[in-house]
Amino acid sequence: MLRGYEGVRYISDKQMIVFDIGSAYTKFGYAGEASPRGIIRTEVRCPESKKIRRIIDHTDVEDLYQLLVEFLHLLFFKYVVVSPKDARILLLESPLAVTSFRDTIAKVMFKHFEVGSILFLPSHLATISTLGIDTALVLDVGYQEATLIPIFEGIPVLKAWQALPLGGQIVHENLRRYFNDMSNDIDLSEKVLEDIKVRTCFVTTLERSTKLGTKDAPTPPPDVMYPGVQRILITGEIREKAFEILWERDNDNLSLSTMILDAIVKCPLDMRRVLAENIILVGGTTMTKGFASRLKSELLALVQNDLYKNKLKIQSFKFHTAPSKPNYTVWLGGAIFGTTDLPLRCLTKEIYLKTNRVPDWSSLIDNQKDETSYEV
Amino acid sequence: MTYLNQPDYVRYVCNCGSLKPISKIYFCRHCLMIRCGYCVCQKVDSHYCPNCMENLPSSEVRLKKNKCSNCFDCPCCFQTLSTRAGLAATMKATEGEENKDVKATPKKVYYLFCSLCRWSSRDAGIPDQSVATGGWPEQENPHTTRINALIDYHKILASIEKQQCERKKFHPKRPFMPTTMYSFTSTLLRKRIGRPLKPPMQSQSTAQPVSSIATEEIEELSEDIFTEPIDITKITTLEQRLQHPEVQAEKINELRPQHRQFLVKRSQRCRVCEHNVSKSDLCPQSIKFKILLAAFESPSLLPSTVRQVPVTEDPKPIKIIPNADLILPHSALILPPRDDAAEYDDTSDNHNFQDDPKLVVWRKGNKAVIRLHVIPNDTNENNEEPVIVGFVMQHGYVNTIAALEHKSPQKVDVKVKLYLNVGQLVDKA
Repeated sequence: MLRGYEGVRYISDKQMIVFDIGSAYTKFGYAGEASPRGIIRTEVRCPESKKIRRIIDHTDVEDLYQLLVEFLHLLFFKYVVVSPKDARILLLESPLAVTSFRDTIAKVMFKHFEVGSILFLPSHLATISTLGIDTALVLDVGYQEATLIPIFEGIPVLKAWQALPLGGQIVHENLRRYFNDMSNDIDLSEKVLEDIKVRTCFVTTLERSTKLGTKDAPTPPPDVMYPGVQRILITGEIREKAFEILWERDNDNLSLSTMILDAIVKCPLDMRRVLAENIILVGGTTMTKGFASRLKSELLALVQNDLYKNKLKIQSFKFHTAPSKPNYTVWLGGAIFGTTDLPLRCLTKEIYLKTNRVPDWSSLIDNQKDETSYEV
Repeated sequence: MTYLNQPDYVRYVCNCGSLKPISKIYFCRHCLMIRCGYCVCQKVDSHYCPNCMENLPSSEVRLKKNKCSNCFDCPCCFQTLSTRAGLAATMKATEGEENKDVKATPKKVYYLFCSLCRWSSRDAGIPDQSVATGGWPEQENPHTTRINALIDYHKILASIEKQQCERKKFHPKRPFMPTTMYSFTSTLLRKRIGRPLKPPMQSQSTAQPVSSIATEEIEELSEDIFTEPIDITKITTLEQRLQHPEVQAEKINELRPQHRQFLVKRSQRCRVCEHNVSKSDLCPQSIKFKILLAAFESPSLLPSTVRQVPVTEDPKPIKIIPNADLILPHSALILPPRDDAAEYDDTSDNHNFQDDPKLVVWRKGNKAVIRLHVIPNDTNENNEEPVIVGFVMQHGYVNTIAALEHKSPQKVDVKVKLYLNVGQLVDKA
C-alpha cells in the first residue's frame, strides 16, 4: 500500500491544469499526474433552452462562446475545483482543428475566466511525450474524425497529414442504420447506441470480414438481448459489422488503413521505414476489441495490393503501447509535457490582451522565416 | 423558495447584458452597480466532502487529489456507499479442539454496501476490513514509475532549453552574416528545426529513460468472441469505466469503489472594484453567507495600492424585444425600510403615506402593490407571444460604505433597467 507521503513529488504552487477537450469527451487533470482526474462528456446545460447540448452542436461563434463559458465554469468549479483566475492552463488541440474554436476558447479563458496563461500543445506531438522517443506516426481516432500526423525527430511532418471523418460518430450512425433495417419502430438515442457499441460490438478479423455478406459467410457471433424498458435484440451480425464502416474504402478509395500508408508515401524515403515501425494509436475508438490487430492485417494486405506495391517496400508494421489507456494518452502526453516549466512557450494574459489574437501555425505572421523568430 | 423555480417574469438588466431575476443578481455597494453570476470573478473558497462534511485546507486537498479519504462512491450507480458491520464468517475449522472451550468472541468486520443498487464490496471480492474507517485496498496505476521517469526526462529537456535561451542572450546577433548564405550548413539547419546545436553530452543522455519499444505482436481478437455468448449485465457501461480512467474495467466485478470528490464553496468578487459581493461561511454545514461584510472586517487589508487593470468582457447584446408601452406614474413612491419584525406584526400599519389611490392598491410593511397601465403594440388577442414591457426604475440608495470611511452617508439615485413579462393578452378591455 502506498503511504501518504510516498510517490508524492514536490508540487509547485501552481500546477498546470491540463485539458483535452474532445468532441465527445473531455479529459481534465493536473500536470505531473499519471492519469486524468476525470473524463466527462463534452456537453453542458444551455442557459437559455435549459437543455443538455453538446459543444460541437453550436450554431455560431457567439453560441459557442456562451456554451464554452458554461462548460468551463462546470469544469473549473465542479470537476477540477480550482480558481481559474491566474491559473496556468495547458490545452491540447489538434493542429487540424478549426481556428474559430481555438480563438473562441482563448477568448473565454482570458476574458471571462482571466486565466494567467495558456499553452497550446499539438495533440499529436504531445502523444510522443508518453513514449520517450521522438519519432512516431500518430493516428488519433476519436469521435468525429480520425487524424494522422507523423512526428519525425520531434517535428510534426505537416505535409503528410491525413484526416477522414471516421470515428465513433460514424459507427453510431452505422449501428442506427442496421437497427432501422431490422425494424422501423426502434428509435435509439445516441447514448444507447454508444452503450451498445461499447458493451457488445467488436472489430472482426480481416479474414472473416471478406466473407461477410457472401454465400459462405461465417456463423455470426451469439446474439445479445439488451435490457431495458424496451428490450432490444442485438444480433451477432450487427455486433460484428458495426465497425466495418471504418475499413470500407470510400469513393476516394480511402479508409483508416490507407491513411497510414498515404502518410508514409508522402514522407521522404529515409523516413518511411522508421515511421512504419513506430505507429501509435490514440483515441477512444482504438480501444475497441480487435482494432489494432485488424489495422495491422489491413496494412499488411494493402502493401501487397497493386496500389502500394510499387510505391512502398515496407514489410512490417510495429506498434507502440503508451503507459496509459489510449483514450487519455494525449492527455497524459500533455500532463508530462506540462511539468516542464517553459514560460516562453505560453501565451500569457498580458500578451493576449495586447494583441487580441492567438498565434497560429497556419498564419503567415507567426511563420516569418527571419532569424528573429527563433529568438523569442 | 418558489420564486427560484418559476419562470422569470421580472428580469433585471445586468451591466454585462445578461437578463436575470432579482434572486440571481448582486449589488456592488462600491460601484453602485448591478452584478450577476456571469460578470463577477469567482473563486474557490473552501473544499468540503458532501457526505461527511469534512473541511480541508487547499494544500491537503491537492495532496489527496481532491478526494475524501473516508467516503466512497458506488462504482455501479455512483451513489455514496455506506459502511456495514458484519460478523466474521465461521472460525477456522482447522484450529483444533482445544480452542473450543475458549469463548471465541465473534470478530466484527466491515464491508461497503450501496443501498441503492445493492452493490457490495463482498460481491466484488474485496476482503472485509477490521476497522470501520478505511484501510481499503487502493488501486495503483501500474505505470507510475514509467511516467515519473518520463517526467524527469522532460524536466531535463526543459532545463537544457532554458540554458540555451540564456546562452543566446550573451551571443549578440551578427547582422553582417547573410543568413541565406549559411542556411545549408548543418548548424544552421539544426538551429532552424529547433534541435540542440551540439549533440547532447554524455551526462545528459544518461537521463533519457528507456524508450518505448514498438512490437509487431498485437493482442489478437480472441476466437471465443465468435462463439461464447455474453452476459451484457456483467459488462460495464462507459460511464462506469470512465469513473476510474486508469483501469477502465470491463467486467462488473472488477469495479472498485472510488473516493468521493470534494465540492467547493465559492466566493464572488466584483470585477471592477475587486470587493466581495458574496462570500459564504467557511463551515461546510452552514448555509449562511457573510455577504460583503466579510470584506470590511479588516479594512486595513483592503487593496489600496496598485490594482490590476480589470479585464472586462464585452457586454452581451440584449436579445429581448419589448412589445408594449407603459404609462409611468407621475409621482415617486415611498417604501418604508425593510423590517423583519414588521412581517409578523399585523397591527402596526402606522406609516401614513399620502398615496395616490389610483397608483397604490395595497401596501403592508415594505411591500406595496401598484397599478400601472400597459398598452400592448399588438392588440390581437390570439397572439401567443407574451407581452413584455421594458422600463427604467430609479430608486434612492444610502451608501453606508462611506460611513465606514468616516464620511457622512451619501444618498445616491440608482437606475435599474427592467423587463417585465406580463403574460398573454386574454381579453379586450
